[in-house]
Amino acid sequence: MALIFTNPPGEGGAVARATAPFTSQRSRSWLGLVPFLAFLVLFLIVPAISVFSQALRGANGEFGFASMGEAFSGQNLDAFWFSITFSAGAAAVGTILGTLLAYVAASITRPRWLRNAVTAFSGVAANMGGLPLAFAFLSLLGRQGLGTKLLNGVGIDLYAGDFGLGEVTGLVTVYSYFNIPLMVLVILPAIDGLKPAWREACSSLGGNSSTYWRRVGLPVLAPSILGGFILLFANSFSAYATAAQLTDNSKIVPLRIGFFLGGDVSVGEDAVGYALAAWMIVIMAVAMILYWALRRRAERWQS
Amino acid sequence: MRGRVFGRVVAPLILLVAAAFFILPLFAMMRFALQNVQVIDLRWSNLFDKWSLAPLWSAFSDDQFGRALTLSLKLAIGTGLISLLLLVPTIVWVHLRLPRARSTVEFLTILPYVIPAIGMVAGIMVIKPHARWFLNSDLSLIPFYVVLALPFTFRSIDSGLKALDLRTLVEASRSLGYGWIRTIVHVIVPNLRTAILSCLFLTVAVVLGEYTIADVLLKRTFPAFMGEYRGSDPKGGYGLAILSLVVTTLIFMIIGLVSRPKSARRRRARGTT
Repeated sequence: MALIFTNPPGEGGAVARATAPFTSQRSRSWLGLVPFLAFLVLFLIVPAISVFSQALRGANGEFGFASMGEAFSGQNLDAFWFSITFSAGAAAVGTILGTLLAYVAASITRPRWLRNAVTAFSGVAANMGGLPLAFAFLSLLGRQGLGTKLLNGVGIDLYAGDFGLGEVTGLVTVYSYFNIPLMVLVILPAIDGLKPAWREACSSLGGNSSTYWRRVGLPVLAPSILGGFILLFANSFSAYATAAQLTDNSKIVPLRIGFFLGGDVSVGEDAVGYALAAWMIVIMAVAMILYWALRRRAERWQS
Repeated sequence: MRGRVFGRVVAPLILLVAAAFFILPLFAMMRFALQNVQVIDLRWSNLFDKWSLAPLWSAFSDDQFGRALTLSLKLAIGTGLISLLLLVPTIVWVHLRLPRARSTVEFLTILPYVIPAIGMVAGIMVIKPHARWFLNSDLSLIPFYVVLALPFTFRSIDSGLKALDLRTLVEASRSLGYGWIRTIVHVIVPNLRTAILSCLFLTVAVVLGEYTIADVLLKRTFPAFMGEYRGSDPKGGYGLAILSLVVTTLIFMIIGLVSRPKSARRRRARGTT
């Protein structure tokens, strides 16, 4: 499912609350976090480390990078390439259309409920994913789909080219369903943070609308846009459930991992599955670190 | 002038196209599940003919359905309760004693993004031979679902606590003789009702949506049943998907509703005191 981390409704902003003075109890205070940390270690960190322990193991159980290398070559490399291509495509489409939609939503003044409706709907749609999303698009754009028929009626044969719901074009379309609203949620606070005073200052200094966007608007939005792109990429790259229902295309990395985990592969081969999972965690970690850093930077203008 | 053209023409157009993109797939799914007319025979004239809920009833009467739904409900309840037991004391503690650790804890709660469900289940498969006594039980999914829901649940409890004057509440309660546990149960929890409700609803949404782990571990949860049932009866499977979408959407709407009036109430209360 698509996961988001924007503020839930009702939360004002990330304002640090009254910082209590640190006392000598400080070291003992950390003990209060032990149950929470232990839980995380047991049910998240241990599984993650286990993945790497299997991935970094050679045929005879010795430490080695053979599996990691194998997971990044041949058919597996093709899968990474395919997954990165469609995820980047889906992220690009989501970023551009999401920003556009958010800009429209932010500029709506009448009717007043429309903006709230866009945000509320985005909150729901950004979390849509998994099976229902796949089913919805299968019945719209599948070979016998309603949309396919409608397009046929106006003379467009959707399946004349290399369109397929499990191919790049199809996956980008389907993932846009949660990527666009996710981008709206990410970028809307940033767009709201553009102060009218900046535009006035720009025009009183002799700039026109394009100067404003080139010199003020886009530079301020840039960290949020880039951060959104990375978030959308990560979101598309790791999605399993939707893809699993759309296709059994084992070019998609999460499906390939699932295939190795569930399939009757020989003893040496299952390490490749774990190595694929390990690579995926590495890619996700890099993406999330970048996102976190960019979000910190973007928050500077949102007060 | 350009601004007016944008506002009058371009903006409504963009909204219309977006609305079509987001509504059409849902409509197509509903039509496929609930209208007993093949796409080939579909005309504008018979678009509203032969709609019926029968595919849903036949899905309900499958003998696996009840079991799958019961399991998912148990998982949702378990996930909700354990999330609360884990998060409420931890976040209260962070707010009171370790405000500087807040961003660290928040960072930890987004780790499930770094280790997505498919990565997590790969790890579970490694551990499985060593912990069959635990992982063979269907309910062993609960702690993993607690982790998956963390990004949502942490935020709901955290923002609920942010809105309270926690320090005063706790000091008052402690100076009147309550211990920590009674303070949490009798003072903090009643003040956190909305946040706790959101947290519980969010865990229901997460459990209803989670497919990856259940699929790989071959646990027959509601989403897994839905995927499997589609194979034998596509209409019924799609009908179940609509049902779970409706429930999830209602959940998000309820969360939106319960958290809004509360802030208004709070503002009023602050104005009078």
